[in-house]
Amino acid sequence: MRMNLRTTIPRAMATLLIALPVLAAPNPERDVYFGETHVHTSWSLDAFAIGNVLTTPGDAYKYFKGEPIKHPLGYDVRIDTPLDWAGVTDHSEYAGVVNLANEPGSAVSKLSVAQPLILKARTKEEMERVALYAINTLASGPPVPALMAPEIAGTVWKRNVALADQANQPGKFTAFCSYEWTSMPNNMNLHRNIFFKDCAKVPPMPFSALDSKHPVDLWDWMDGQRKAGNDLLAISHNANLSDGRMFPTEVDTKGRPIDAAYAASRLRNEPLIEIKQLKGTSETHPVLSPTDEFANFEIMSVLLGNPPGRIPHIVGSYARQALKDGVALQDSKGFNPYKFGFGAASDSHNTAVPYRQDNFFGGHSFTDGTIEARMSGTLVGGMFDARLEGTSGLTGVWAEENTRASLFEGMSRKETFAVSGPHIKVRFFGGWEYGPDAVTQGDWVKTGYAKGVAMGGDLPPAAGKAPTFMVWAVKDPTSGNLDRIQIVKGWTKSGQSFEKIYEVVWAGDRKPDKWTGAVPPIGSTVDVENATYTNTIGAVELKTVWTDPEFDPSLHAFYYARVIEIPTPRWTTIQAKQLGIAPPDVVSATIQERAWTSPIWYTPSAEDRKNAPRGTTVAELTTQGGKALNDAQLKALIEEKSVWMQNTVTGEKYMIIYGALGKGPGVKPLTPSDPGYVTQRFPTNQGQFQVRYVGRGVAMQSLTGDAAEGSYLGTSRTYNIANGKIVTELVGTPIEIAVYKLGDQYIAARGNEFGYANYEMVPAVAELSPLGAAPR
Amino acid sequence: MSIRIGRWLREPLLQFLLIGLALFVVYDLRNQQAAPRERSDRIELTADDLLQVGFAWVAQGRPAPSPDEMRILADARVREEILYREALALGLDKDDVIVRHRLAQKMEFLFEDVAKLREPTTDELKTWFDRNAQRFALPERVTFRHLYFSPDRRGDRTREDAARAFTQISGTSMDSPDALALGDPFMFQDYYGDRAPDDVAKTFGPGFAQAVFEMPPGRWAGPVESGYGSHLVWVDSVTPARVPSFEEVESEVKTAWIEEQRAEIREKTFDVMRARYVVALPADLPSIEVPTMADLASQ
Repeated sequence: MRMNLRTTIPRAMATLLIALPVLAAPNPERDVYFGETHVHTSWSLDAFAIGNVLTTPGDAYKYFKGEPIKHPLGYDVRIDTPLDWAGVTDHSEYAGVVNLANEPGSAVSKLSVAQPLILKARTKEEMERVALYAINTLASGPPVPALMAPEIAGTVWKRNVALADQANQPGKFTAFCSYEWTSMPNNMNLHRNIFFKDCAKVPPMPFSALDSKHPVDLWDWMDGQRKAGNDLLAISHNANLSDGRMFPTEVDTKGRPIDAAYAASRLRNEPLIEIKQLKGTSETHPVLSPTDEFANFEIMSVLLGNPPGRIPHIVGSYARQALKDGVALQDSKGFNPYKFGFGAASDSHNTAVPYRQDNFFGGHSFTDGTIEARMSGTLVGGMFDARLEGTSGLTGVWAEENTRASLFEGMSRKETFAVSGPHIKVRFFGGWEYGPDAVTQGDWVKTGYAKGVAMGGDLPPAAGKAPTFMVWAVKDPTSGNLDRIQIVKGWTKSGQSFEKIYEVVWAGDRKPDKWTGAVPPIGSTVDVENATYTNTIGAVELKTVWTDPEFDPSLHAFYYARVIEIPTPRWTTIQAKQLGIAPPDVVSATIQERAWTSPIWYTPSAEDRKNAPRGTTVAELTTQGGKALNDAQLKALIEEKSVWMQNTVTGEKYMIIYGALGKGPGVKPLTPSDPGYVTQRFPTNQGQFQVRYVGRGVAMQSLTGDAAEGSYLGTSRTYNIANGKIVTELVGTPIEIAVYKLGDQYIAARGNEFGYANYEMVPAVAELSPLGAAPR
Repeated sequence: MSIRIGRWLREPLLQFLLIGLALFVVYDLRNQQAAPRERSDRIELTADDLLQVGFAWVAQGRPAPSPDEMRILADARVREEILYREALALGLDKDDVIVRHRLAQKMEFLFEDVAKLREPTTDELKTWFDRNAQRFALPERVTFRHLYFSPDRRGDRTREDAARAFTQISGTSMDSPDALALGDPFMFQDYYGDRAPDDVAKTFGPGFAQAVFEMPPGRWAGPVESGYGSHLVWVDSVTPARVPSFEEVESEVKTAWIEEQRAEIREKTFDVMRARYVVALPADLPSIEVPTMADLASQ
């Protein structure tokens, strides 16, 4: 964005400009270009199967450029604000059809031709029959031999490339060669969209999930392409539907350890992730970010195909936790697989894409293509309530010019941001030399690049002071005003990771809370009954310079900006008004659209790191003579006890009440006045625990859930003791705690803290927050 | 008679149809030669067949298969052949939506391959362009300066302030420092040269774009509202929409010509095929009631 730069252009020049689109000179300060990285046409088998049978990638490009096209149900749809670039990403294989066919009520299951794919009974023979059919006609390759010859199997891909070339107009609209690698082992969404820098060198056939379902194999193939001079990148999507497998910290899908080689391969090939689309947000989840009041945004927690009996895992499915695990891995093991930037997209299977709350036509052909189908809560593909679908997001790329090469470079260096739908523009720079009023200077963008790094970058080495960030955002002229900009910080210490949301600039004259810094809600102009709002609150433009007030030069950290709009009516509220029904009770009536910038990372120098205090590792503990407790010793230590623990990283002390474990049959029945009268009915070895005395202002280590709320409300969670561990869980993900005895000390290590033993059993505390003590 | 046939043969469409027919025949013969489809217990893969399997492997950008990999590929090919034949024997290919769609799609691609066989001459393109020039019309374009009045700074007074400023500057020039001093700093540019309606709408919103193109050039006008606040606008010049010369858009014309040929050949060829069929549809087609998804789910 050029800021007031062109104050005078000689009039004569204007007349010299020729009227045809020409490539303007590249802008070294870069402009923002909004684009789509994820859309399906009739050429995707699943899109075809649900009724998108006519439109091609050529139609998609027409739509993105502003021409009306047909929705699969036959009505015209038109984009509100045309895009600057796009890549159509049809599936490169036929995966998923079997799953869909076996979903009761799904569209595919109703097709007579899909009947051979439906299990008539859960018998071995029946499964073999379906497997034979599926393997033969769908999964093991193109279904008829005539399709096997490369010149024919490649035709769709070749056509796709040709249409991208045809739609590509350097300087005006960029069309990428791209496709979707659709790996979903056991319904875990590991999909990636693959983007090629240049269409001239694309391979005759793309690498599909039929070739391998393992991301590491995809990356190997991509490495080979790059070596051959064909640059490309992958964008993962729907981590929220990955069942916790998108961001592993222990082993990959092949069971190999997450190590430096894995991290290097992932970083080389996957600079970006898609954090918002029709099927929900993958930034974070309230279970993982209980202190983030804006975390509850367009959440969708399902598995593709909705396999019965499976509860999707939250842990491992969200970006912010992966960024935190990434810096923790970097610090404890020396590699970070999760240094990615943000984008957002659609995943529409309609060729056309809905981006706006007031122009929402669904993303799945006839299953959600009418207002009645959507608002009656149709289970799309038998998987999710159509009312939970959100609008599509977009990716903003800062680039010198609107060309394949320039945009691709922008994506590679992660100078990108995600928006939930509206074209919110946001800049984010980090450095050590920005003055307090730097962002109000006319040449602030130049300063931003010259004296620091843009979003997606690494801060230069520390300069003995706290880093300073310049952040600037402007609203979409056709959407809501801006409420605030926040900076999300994540950091790590001794294998633990933490997050904090800082309010850095906001609309109006709201006063932040003196002690917590919390900025009161902006309020709402939404008239839910009439589904309207006004822009009488909020700001057009927000900008500020922010310095991290709690910077510790010895700790790895990352920072990203989040821009929040004022509340506006969600599409469900608008369409409820059209139908004259109540807004659905399964989603919020209003929405605060937003933008997320790619993070900027801080890495301490070796010297800073060396001088910092560091916790004890399990390995060190063992060397010092620490002995792990066995099951019986653990039971004796904690069962039916209230123990005080101290997190030695934060210094926080709190109490954990471990209730009685179920004893199983054969135990003497208790009387109603015995304390264990109720809990004796637990299954053998299962009990409840409760954490007490945790305040709201405490920075809690990752994967502890909402400890403050649990402490206040008196809620409990399940624990048991097995294999020398106290085992708890967070939405189905086990968290194992080992306890070591060293002298007369008991020291505990949580399994998710990368080898550190960070907890000590301490004497009971009588006074939780002594007056006059240093504020915490 | 022979003269008449000769003229017919010079008709481009007929030429295409004949070439297309020839292609179909070639495909047909090749497939017949390549794979006799009668039920047989013998599977024979020639070196050429395996070479093709190898090409598919290399086509994905991998190095040539090693002997071990080649053996695995051959085994996979044999396995697929067996499953394929068994599936054919069971009739699993019949009425399969995927197979149908794919084969129909291949026919469409084949038509398009045919369309690509001929390069248009420049004269041909020129003639075609003359008939279709409106499709290449360039939108009108505007060059303007604006003064911005920011609601972030002025709140409820924004429009009022802009209206007052207008009375002060209505007689001044576009570059008058007095005029420029009245507005607030704008986030983007103060001067926009040669923009199409879409470009203006993308930056300011559609309402503003429409208003600017309706303003008389050469004087201050407004206030007009954008998504950001109020503006006073000086339209410097408007370039009317115009049809470009053939030379300016020759490559676009060629693309469009090919696209039209494709569509025409697709439709004409289909019409020829369609004519060979008697199609019977229920007489009461319009009255067929399809149950909704909700009905189906409730059954």
